[in-house]
Amino acid sequence: MQEAIRPTNLITEQSWRARLFPNNEWVLALVLVAECLIFSFTGNNFQTAGNAFEITRLSVEIGLLALVMTPIIITGGIDLSVGSMMGLSAVVMGALWRDAGLPMPLAIFLTLLVGLAGGALNALIITKLRFPPLIVTLGTFSLFRGMAEGLTRGIENYSGFSPSFLFLGQGYVGGVIPTQLFILVAAVLGVWWWLHRTAFGRSFYAIGFSQEGARYAGIKVRRRLNFVYCLSGLAASLAAVIYVAHLGQAKSDAGTGYELMAITAVVLGGASIFGGRGTVLGTVLGLFAIVILQNGLRLSGQPAELAGILTGVLLVATILLDRLSRRSESKPQTQTSAEEEFEVKNWQVGVLSAVILGAALIVAGSNWLLVRSLTREAGTGSNAPQNASANAPADKKKTVIAMMPKAKGDPYFISCKAGAEKAAQELGAELLWDGPTDLDPAKQNEVVEAWITRGVDVIAVSVENKEGISTVLRKAKDKGIKVITWDADAEKDARDFLINQATPQGIGETLTDEAARIMGGKGEFAIVTASLSAANQNEWIKYIESRLKEKYPEMKLVGIKPSDGDRDRAFSETQNILKVYPNVKLVMGIAAPAVPGIADAVKQSGRTDVKVTGLSLPNMCKPYIKDGVVDSIVLWNTTDLGYLTVYTADALAKGTFKKGDTKISAGSMKDIEVVGDEVRLGKPFIFNKDNVDNFNF
Amino acid sequence: MSFSRYKRELSALIAFCLLLLAVGVAAPSFFAGGNLRDLLINNAPILLIAVGMTLVILVGEIDISVGSQFAVCSILAGVLAKTGMPTPVLFLCLLLIGALMGALNGVLVGFLRLPSIIVTLAMLVAWRDLLRWTTEGAWVQNLPANFQWFGFGQTTGEILIVGLTLLVFAGFAWILKNVRAGRALYAVGSDAEAARLAGIDPPRIVFGVFTLMGALVGLAALLNAVRFSAIPGNAGIGLELKAVAAVVVGGTAITGGRGLLVGTLIGVALLGTIGTALTFLGINPFWEKAIQGAIILAALVSDVVLARFEKK
Repeated sequence: MQEAIRPTNLITEQSWRARLFPNNEWVLALVLVAECLIFSFTGNNFQTAGNAFEITRLSVEIGLLALVMTPIIITGGIDLSVGSMMGLSAVVMGALWRDAGLPMPLAIFLTLLVGLAGGALNALIITKLRFPPLIVTLGTFSLFRGMAEGLTRGIENYSGFSPSFLFLGQGYVGGVIPTQLFILVAAVLGVWWWLHRTAFGRSFYAIGFSQEGARYAGIKVRRRLNFVYCLSGLAASLAAVIYVAHLGQAKSDAGTGYELMAITAVVLGGASIFGGRGTVLGTVLGLFAIVILQNGLRLSGQPAELAGILTGVLLVATILLDRLSRRSESKPQTQTSAEEEFEVKNWQVGVLSAVILGAALIVAGSNWLLVRSLTREAGTGSNAPQNASANAPADKKKTVIAMMPKAKGDPYFISCKAGAEKAAQELGAELLWDGPTDLDPAKQNEVVEAWITRGVDVIAVSVENKEGISTVLRKAKDKGIKVITWDADAEKDARDFLINQATPQGIGETLTDEAARIMGGKGEFAIVTASLSAANQNEWIKYIESRLKEKYPEMKLVGIKPSDGDRDRAFSETQNILKVYPNVKLVMGIAAPAVPGIADAVKQSGRTDVKVTGLSLPNMCKPYIKDGVVDSIVLWNTTDLGYLTVYTADALAKGTFKKGDTKISAGSMKDIEVVGDEVRLGKPFIFNKDNVDNFNF
Repeated sequence: MSFSRYKRELSALIAFCLLLLAVGVAAPSFFAGGNLRDLLINNAPILLIAVGMTLVILVGEIDISVGSQFAVCSILAGVLAKTGMPTPVLFLCLLLIGALMGALNGVLVGFLRLPSIIVTLAMLVAWRDLLRWTTEGAWVQNLPANFQWFGFGQTTGEILIVGLTLLVFAGFAWILKNVRAGRALYAVGSDAEAARLAGIDPPRIVFGVFTLMGALVGLAALLNAVRFSAIPGNAGIGLELKAVAAVVVGGTAITGGRGLLVGTLIGVALLGTIGTALTFLGINPFWEKAIQGAIILAALVSDVVLARFEKK
């Protein structure tokens, strides 16, 4: 197989290496091989056909975006709007199918048209008005995502798709090969042939090299650019269709951050951001380098954050290497300017060495972690690994409990983790704690898939998206893994037990009752929620509204504002609320980081007549509760929630706890009530001035 | 002074005035003193970062790692403050930490000639994940009493923050217009080769600009952190887009070499006011993002329309 001959190269006789890897893609191939080697030592079940197929499944959506991003970057452009376009397409498809009642194939067809239209909008502004693609797509990046949120009011969540549609994203052809793999393979071959084997595709290199030059050579530059941006929109909506089929739900947050992943893959693959260079082979290698890194780290039980750090280092290293090799190559050709330009001063060498040293330290640090996990695998055993207990009998196989929060960075889940670790230590079980860094249903599925491949005894999930994750949880159950849900439930048949801290109804009603108590049962109040599309919060709001109607007709909810889990955003939204609705007597925050932001805003405004309540962590709100700004907060004991989950998981794995039991003994928490398939933590608790000092989480 | 020189800034100013007019008619309470004060303080850190971004974009580069740098600086501000460090030293430390992170970008982009969008994309991911890895998302709490508002009380603290921001802004505006090094940014951004032949060392300018950008991020992070009694671990997500959008809406050419800090000020004011204005106008928050995107596009299109109009 011969890849495209680099148009920039003036050397007439090319070695096979230059022909196959015009942009030093062999480096990436080496990295890929190295990754595979390391992970097959450190990872559990990394080297299996099943895992290989899972990796490809996870890379299809980003792969599609990256493949079409390749010609765009080759022309010297960029498209930042593809991730947002996925969100818009997903929502449009859901609405057409469910609300307009169209048959699925027609809905998909119309969705693809929407993608095409979005791409055409980009193309129009870029080619007609001659604006830099970076800025245009930055604008449509906000525009498309905003339209998706506006159309659904953030709340709408389309699910309940037919099995034949879901097969597209979840099924296996012949029981082994994931369905969407065929789409990826077809797309790779198609784009490869188009870009490297047709005059039409090759013209993009000419455009990237010099638009003017290409135009004089008779290439219709504008038309080509129009075509490729439209194609990008189309690919984004196709990726959205697969994404929806994969997760079983269509929501406005689909594809968040995918544009960066796609661009990273393309650039890692040797494409030049200035245009003129790049190959499909490189993009595919770049894609797999990222995906395998994430998958391998997960199977090795390494922190997933390492993937980001290593990807960053890899990215800089690749382009640096490319730059250096090109420098030595280009020297003899353009002597006058090149030599002067690349003259390096002594102090510059110093700075350079410092940077390389810094990068080396990071790499060394991560290597140290890998090596440490290697020695653990080898069974030295004496130096206790992170989460496992030191006093566990060495000969007995430890229970491996994999536990997933909705978002790792959320302080609420951090406090759950503390309890879970304590329980794991007491029981001598190995606790794997992993999940998305921010709310991301697709990532949750990915992590569960990795755990199934890795082989664990129990999987415990705090579910972000009920429909989406249930399929993969059922798959885990079929493989003999015990499945429990905590904090938020999946579909009932997809798990063995639910650790139920409080029902949405209980939370909504307790919050409303607290607000009513503080306000004396009448007056106006406002809510600051997480994001407008947060499923849990929207369910609570539903119960708050119905409770108001039922019991407190004199109370009025005047506004609901988003905070996106950002304290500073909650702060400024509250400032607005206080001014726009001057009669508000209370502001309720229903996301943990929102309450401190609200409290600060109320405090700094000097409005002592406005009170704050909501759902948050005692430690976060302690100063404000003592100040009297926050009257009370509602929550359960989150540390206990984590503790109880691990105890239940361990008992389930050892067989000491099964369906039909009416209580479970959970260490220092004593006997806990079990009703049917729900382990009940107890009622939501109200923290106020008098008791907040007794809690530390 | 001819207006045509400022037409790019003018179109943003017109949009801003239209927005103010609309809010003024529909909800006059928007212009209450308290609201304007809040808007000033909330947007001060963004203005600082946008000033840095203007410099970066002027030399024809871009820095999309500022949001992650901001988060790292915020957390470090809290951690350092808890060691009981006096305020002036804290300022210096934060400027230094920011400058170091900026200098890393500067070396890679300036001296090694790597494309800035890729370098800062890598840093965006790497810094954020490094922070997540080390802090696991934890907040910095129980800050010393003299950390909030630098121990001066709310009113003085607010004046200090806004004053310092405006001082930095005015300083950079003056430098860009009157100082050799400031003019060199325009030269490098217009044509690096020509600038080199004119005796300017473009790699050094680019390195300096990125270092300044980092120092400004450190300053912004500190000034933002002292407004609150705790520091969250996820600060600054999406900040880079806000800053770039403000700079571009303010008329600075993304290709470099053209733009004014006054424009950036208008851009920050415009984008920073939209959210609040929409709330005052009673527009559903679900549409906020869409309207923001539309305004960016509209500012771009109006620019072209203005240019064509002028040609006639």
